[in-house]
Amino acid sequence: MNWTLALPEIVLAVLGMAILMFGVLQKRHNPFHLASMLTVGAFLVAGMLVIAGPEGLGYHGQFTSDPFSRFVQVLVLVASSLTVIASLDYNDHANLRRFEFPVLILFATVGMLVMAGASNLMTLYVGLELQSLSIYVLAAFARDELRSTEAGLKYFVLGSLASGLLLYGISLVYGFSGTMEFDKLAMTLADPTKVSAGLIVGIVFIVAGLAFKVSAVPFHMWTPDVYEGAPTPVTLLMGTAPKVAAMALLVRAMATPFGHLLGQWQQLIVLVSIASMLLGALAAIGQKNIKRLMAYSSIGHMGYVLIGLAAGTPNGIRGVLIYLVTYVFMNAGTFACIIAMRRRGRSLERISDLGGLGKTDPMLAMWLTVFMFSMAGIPPFAGFWGKYFIFTAAVQSGMWALAVIGVLTSVIGAFYYIRIIKVMYFDTAEAAFDPRSASLSTLAAVSGLFTTLFFVFPAPLVGAAEAAAKVLFG
Amino acid sequence: MIAAVAFYVFALILLASAVMVVSARNPVHSVLFLILAFFNAAALFLLAGAEFLAMILVIVYVGAVAVLFLFVVMMLDVNFAELRSGFQRYTPIGLAIGFVLAAELFIVFGGWKIAPDEMSLRFAPTAANVNNTAQLGKLIYTDYIFLFQTAGLVLLVAMIGAIVLTLRDRQTSRHQNIARQIARIPADTLEMVSVRSGAGMTEIGIRRPKVEAAVPEVEHATTDHDHGAH
Amino acid sequence: MSFFFDNPLGITILTVAEALAIIVPVLIMMAYLTYAERKVLAAIQLRKGPNVVGPFGLWQPFADAIKMMMKETVVPAGSNKMLFLLAPMLTFGLAVIAWAVIPVNDGWAIANINVGILYLFAISSLGVYGIIIAGWASNSKYAFLGAMRSAAQMVSYEVSIGFVMVCVLLCVGSLNLNDIVLAQQRVWFCLPLFPMFVVFFISGLAETNRAPFDLPEGESEIVAGFFVEYSSMAFALFFLGEYTNMILMSAMTSILFLGGWLAPFGVEPFTWIPGPIWFIGKIVVVLFFFIWVRGTFPRYRYDQLMRLGWKVFLPLSLLWLVLTAGALMLFGWLPNAA
Repeated sequence: MNWTLALPEIVLAVLGMAILMFGVLQKRHNPFHLASMLTVGAFLVAGMLVIAGPEGLGYHGQFTSDPFSRFVQVLVLVASSLTVIASLDYNDHANLRRFEFPVLILFATVGMLVMAGASNLMTLYVGLELQSLSIYVLAAFARDELRSTEAGLKYFVLGSLASGLLLYGISLVYGFSGTMEFDKLAMTLADPTKVSAGLIVGIVFIVAGLAFKVSAVPFHMWTPDVYEGAPTPVTLLMGTAPKVAAMALLVRAMATPFGHLLGQWQQLIVLVSIASMLLGALAAIGQKNIKRLMAYSSIGHMGYVLIGLAAGTPNGIRGVLIYLVTYVFMNAGTFACIIAMRRRGRSLERISDLGGLGKTDPMLAMWLTVFMFSMAGIPPFAGFWGKYFIFTAAVQSGMWALAVIGVLTSVIGAFYYIRIIKVMYFDTAEAAFDPRSASLSTLAAVSGLFTTLFFVFPAPLVGAAEAAAKVLFG
Repeated sequence: MIAAVAFYVFALILLASAVMVVSARNPVHSVLFLILAFFNAAALFLLAGAEFLAMILVIVYVGAVAVLFLFVVMMLDVNFAELRSGFQRYTPIGLAIGFVLAAELFIVFGGWKIAPDEMSLRFAPTAANVNNTAQLGKLIYTDYIFLFQTAGLVLLVAMIGAIVLTLRDRQTSRHQNIARQIARIPADTLEMVSVRSGAGMTEIGIRRPKVEAAVPEVEHATTDHDHGAH
Repeated sequence: MSFFFDNPLGITILTVAEALAIIVPVLIMMAYLTYAERKVLAAIQLRKGPNVVGPFGLWQPFADAIKMMMKETVVPAGSNKMLFLLAPMLTFGLAVIAWAVIPVNDGWAIANINVGILYLFAISSLGVYGIIIAGWASNSKYAFLGAMRSAAQMVSYEVSIGFVMVCVLLCVGSLNLNDIVLAQQRVWFCLPLFPMFVVFFISGLAETNRAPFDLPEGESEIVAGFFVEYSSMAFALFFLGEYTNMILMSAMTSILFLGGWLAPFGVEPFTWIPGPIWFIGKIVVVLFFFIWVRGTFPRYRYDQLMRLGWKVFLPLSLLWLVLTAGALMLFGWLPNAA
């Protein structure tokens, strides 16, 4: 058995426990900052191990390491690192300086790495639970604040319901096919006579459970409330890494074991995708709270990503991966700007609070403008290229209608993204925000530079995404 | 024959108590019926030859989880009549959903087809002369070690979460330092003095602590509760 | 003879006879345990103890039993009657059914099951229900407080008991109680696993709600805890249950650590005495320790009790578990049982 396949996960988990012990035993100084730094360091180590690690299928078919999983794992590690860096400043001001915060993020990341490499329905479930449970706790981390505990509880109750659905689906699939390994499932289902109605119901349940985790319509209800209530770095985390991991899981589960049933699940994904895009575009218009707005925006973005999956081709999957990369960076950057919205130590969340930012803090306003343009899909920013790859793939698979709806909803969505820019530059100026910390500025700058300059050298990323996508259709 | 009778008895009680869990008026009764249901499930495991699972079900679910359930339900003062008030209002929706689900189930059972090659996997027969505890152990710690360890991490996260969300350091509580108490020896606190009989306090160097000035009666009453601190 | 092994009726009769053969001695033992407790405590406190009823007061337990039966069963008006009466029966019933798997001699058990130790652990973890139900059904504050304390206490100490059991199981390689005793032919486990023996004994005190961990009763603070509202036979059943549990815990201690029915060293003069006598002798010694502890130690404060359970015993037993497993692996002592 080649146990080194899961070396990044093992090392990361062990380092997490070490950081936990360090935090518990360190009594004199508050270990939050040091623990956060160590966590970022652990992510770096894990990232290097992911890149250098061997490929193959191990642990009795429960875990796999291939270009796809490695692509997703690196992306997840980057997103988690960005979250930890963003939390440094926020937690200092929100009085959440507790070393458990980065540790929980770390364990959530372990869960997401496991999800990315899952090649068995049980691994899929366990990884998903590890990730979800950590994030339930993180959502309620500001335990003295009503909104945060409510967010945590809501997320927990609905999330467990989704886990239940997923588990039910898994048991149905197991009962009707006799195996939980992706490879064997694919082999079994290659013969259409072995596909029964029960199995299809099982797949529907699995899709429903995973759709909840990526907050696609009609399983999106929790998103706005939880996004609004959770501490902002946690919202940043929920908006990036778990979405990536869950989407990767959905892609792998649909493409590998159920790849032969494309006709069965394609219509399902198309439906979910259209509904998500529409809701994301329409419901966001009336929002006044920027975190809620980002919630609806993420629902919309997941709709676009699902187009790539619905296309069911390597090109579509490549589009999914590229979209997810660009999405992670623009989301992280936007939330860095949101965390920076603070006057006299109080965090602000209303869009109107941004009034006149173009005059009071031109730097922040510029980066936020970049992110908003990118989210709206305006060239040459990264968000445009994500959409470009997705829509081309859809068109190549002959899904004209889906591509057209996607473009239309992007145009509607552009309205509320650009409204934010309007508020910043043309509304009456309010008092200036508190000075930003270096960590937030760096975060915004890194994400902003990536978003702006993506079009200059997209080749390595596109190449990696292409290699990753090919694996699933090998 | 006895096994068949036992199966139907346990299965019937299991179903009946499951129904009672949902329909009992008193939440404590609900939990007690839940425990009865666990018990009968354990008995069914026993009948199926899965003795280890049966015992673990009792130890973990009945012995630990349900105790905490009961604990919480007894402490909570939930007004269940109020909770039930919405019952009538939502009955039509519930019935409609139930009808749809039932219809789906019929469709599923109509198309019931188990992958034929895998039929042999469904009733994994236990190997003779190896009890199922040992078999389980051999599987979990070898083939499924990855899942086992990851599940362990899930529990670790649950533990961290419980501590993070509930532990509060109260500055006012006085902690007992056991090491210090044990390390205390008579020489630290006692001084042995041989006293000449009839000697006065001043003569052997022991003085009474200075008596503070009398405190007015009214003020004394307000600070009265401080005496308990010593 | 084949009637008893083949015919269903015969099997039933045999089983009932076996059950009686173990329950009746246990109950008699329990009756004289109360007598012994009073005598030993009296000796510790320089008193005489019961000495009026019968020679040396030997009929005292029976006099007490008759007194209990004659009294009126009072069921408080605000109580939940069914649960109120169910609780003592549950306590006593659980204490008795655990004896089904206890081997008195090689192969002498009503049910020699593969997972005997788990069965015992399961039954002892259920004991808390009798108490918690009694506390709640009485509809009385003191009773409820006692029940809460008891639930927290028993759940806490079960964890370390579980780990201690796992330590023993690692050395045996089987969950069967018979095998556990037979594995101690060379050396009783109380020597190599001495710290675990101590942890098990102390946790056993907590698990049976005995002094110095008798907070659920705490007669000086919450009058009598969970059974404050009970009288007559209902009370007697709790009493019976508590003492039967003590005997059970002693039996478990002697099976897990003191070699059960085995004679010490397995050498000549000792082996003349039959196994069951050794077994009972060991139980009596452990019971004496139970009473001795009660006569000697003051009651723990509640936070101290919790700290002892979670911060001392749990890490200690976990550490010892790792050490045991490590030593067994290192020296290749692992029992290769199937």
